[in-house]
Amino acid sequence: MTSLERISATVRFERTDRVPVIAQIGAHSAIFAKKKLIDYVRDGELAAYSQITALEHYGYDAVFAIFDSCVETEAAGSTIEYREDIYPAVIKYILNPDSDVEKHKLPDPHQDGRMPEILKCVRILRQEVGDKTLVVGTVIGPMTVLTQLMGMERALYMAIDDPKRFVKFFDYACQLVRRFGLAQLEAGAHLILTFDPAASQTVIPPQFYREFVLPRHRELFKTFKEGGAIANWVHSAGRIDDIMPYYQETNVDIVNFDYEVDPLSAIANTGHICLDGNIKPLSFIFDTPEIIRQESLKLMGIFKERGGFILSSGCEIPPESKPENIEAMVNAARETL
Amino acid sequence: MQNNPYQSLIDALIDGDRDKAYQSASELLKSGIPKERIVVEGIHKAMEMLDGKCTAEQFNLLELMLTGRAVSTVIDLLYKGDQSGVASRETIVLAALEGDIHDLGKSIVKTVLMGKGYRTVDCGKDVTIEKIVETAKKEGAKAICISGLISSVMPQIKRLKPSLEEAGCGDIAVLAGGAALKQATAEVLNVDYVGITAFDAGKYIDTLLGYSHDQS
Repeated sequence: MTSLERISATVRFERTDRVPVIAQIGAHSAIFAKKKLIDYVRDGELAAYSQITALEHYGYDAVFAIFDSCVETEAAGSTIEYREDIYPAVIKYILNPDSDVEKHKLPDPHQDGRMPEILKCVRILRQEVGDKTLVVGTVIGPMTVLTQLMGMERALYMAIDDPKRFVKFFDYACQLVRRFGLAQLEAGAHLILTFDPAASQTVIPPQFYREFVLPRHRELFKTFKEGGAIANWVHSAGRIDDIMPYYQETNVDIVNFDYEVDPLSAIANTGHICLDGNIKPLSFIFDTPEIIRQESLKLMGIFKERGGFILSSGCEIPPESKPENIEAMVNAARETL
Repeated sequence: MQNNPYQSLIDALIDGDRDKAYQSASELLKSGIPKERIVVEGIHKAMEMLDGKCTAEQFNLLELMLTGRAVSTVIDLLYKGDQSGVASRETIVLAALEGDIHDLGKSIVKTVLMGKGYRTVDCGKDVTIEKIVETAKKEGAKAICISGLISSVMPQIKRLKPSLEEAGCGDIAVLAGGAALKQATAEVLNVDYVGITAFDAGKYIDTLLGYSHDQS
């Protein structure tokens, strides 16, 4: 089976030749390809080169068009600070609670900020791997984009103090994310990973997810499917046990679960949805290949009967991870051949 | 059974209802209760109760932010924003390291510590190790709380204890927390303690400084 066939079959809970494995790698690929992080996050061609270099070495089942969590907010007008070896951060948010958000310009993915570089990255990745390997386009989810547009504190207080106004801001964030995701699908991404850590229960209570986020995630995933996505993939880092049951109502196809979520709880809470996870990200820095292998085998054992499982890290594999630990995870999946 | 005159304030603080907390504290003031009693019987009590309620599974940032805001509103009412009136315990320095994404977790820990009566000195975000050491020494801190959301700040935090020792204040305890740092052990980070929730730092410092930890 090709990687894409393996992933597609797993999402449908069908039999595969082996357990699929995805290393969620961003800037680690740049370090592996001996490039600088600051260049990786600004250059779509370099990012694609790095991703392909890492794919050829490790041999996992997906490549990512991903820079950092500031792409969307920068394109909307926020000021970003770039740093040599650390992901960029917002230093000035474009929106505040008094902003006339309904008149605020939506970024054009083909023109604004680094969005065109992400599109370039998607195009190159698809050209390089065709339909053999899954090409993952990435968006920061609407709840997290909103916190990146105006600051987390202001966004959350607004939700409580002025929910009607919050909804207007939230809907702006949704439109922004929708446009960017669709543009990546047009550029050749097989699917979109929606990374929405501010929609985890580390940040918000499950009731907040149900009232505000669920209907918007559902709409977003529907739009991506209509835009050609072979599946939808949601990733909210941290604890999501009590939010997971709501994912079934969003019609999402793949749910990432972080190391803080017990795999059995993930199974019990998600019904017939494909899951990916959940090796602790920092293990890839500090632990040994044997520990990663044992953890991988344990996870695959838990999901053996159920199926619908992609072996992965709980969140992004940190840039400074040891390559031999990533190799250990990929090799563990190959043991199931 | 006699009604607790502070219950309405305690409930409002735990609910994160700042308007109700303001109103309750105003009524207590009007009835002649000294500010210090309102702090001890209202704010400290609410934080102790929240401490017991918020386990690693139940913790969420939004609810704690709302409580933090309600606490600040009451402190503003009582002391016009001057927290020295609330602080009866030792000094704790807090900081988010250079390059991190945001410092919200650190701000929540600050609220928890303030609520317990500690004097807090907040260095803010994007802070260098040198600045933290200088501040802790100058302020006579007993502990330093560092938050880290991204793994890239780890090399910085590992330098903190050696830098404190070099500056002649190696007895100051160093605590770490936050999405990335909480995945590591104290040994790996070269710190004294790694907390999972915002309340863990307060519990550790209580024990370290000899305050009994009330789980009421």
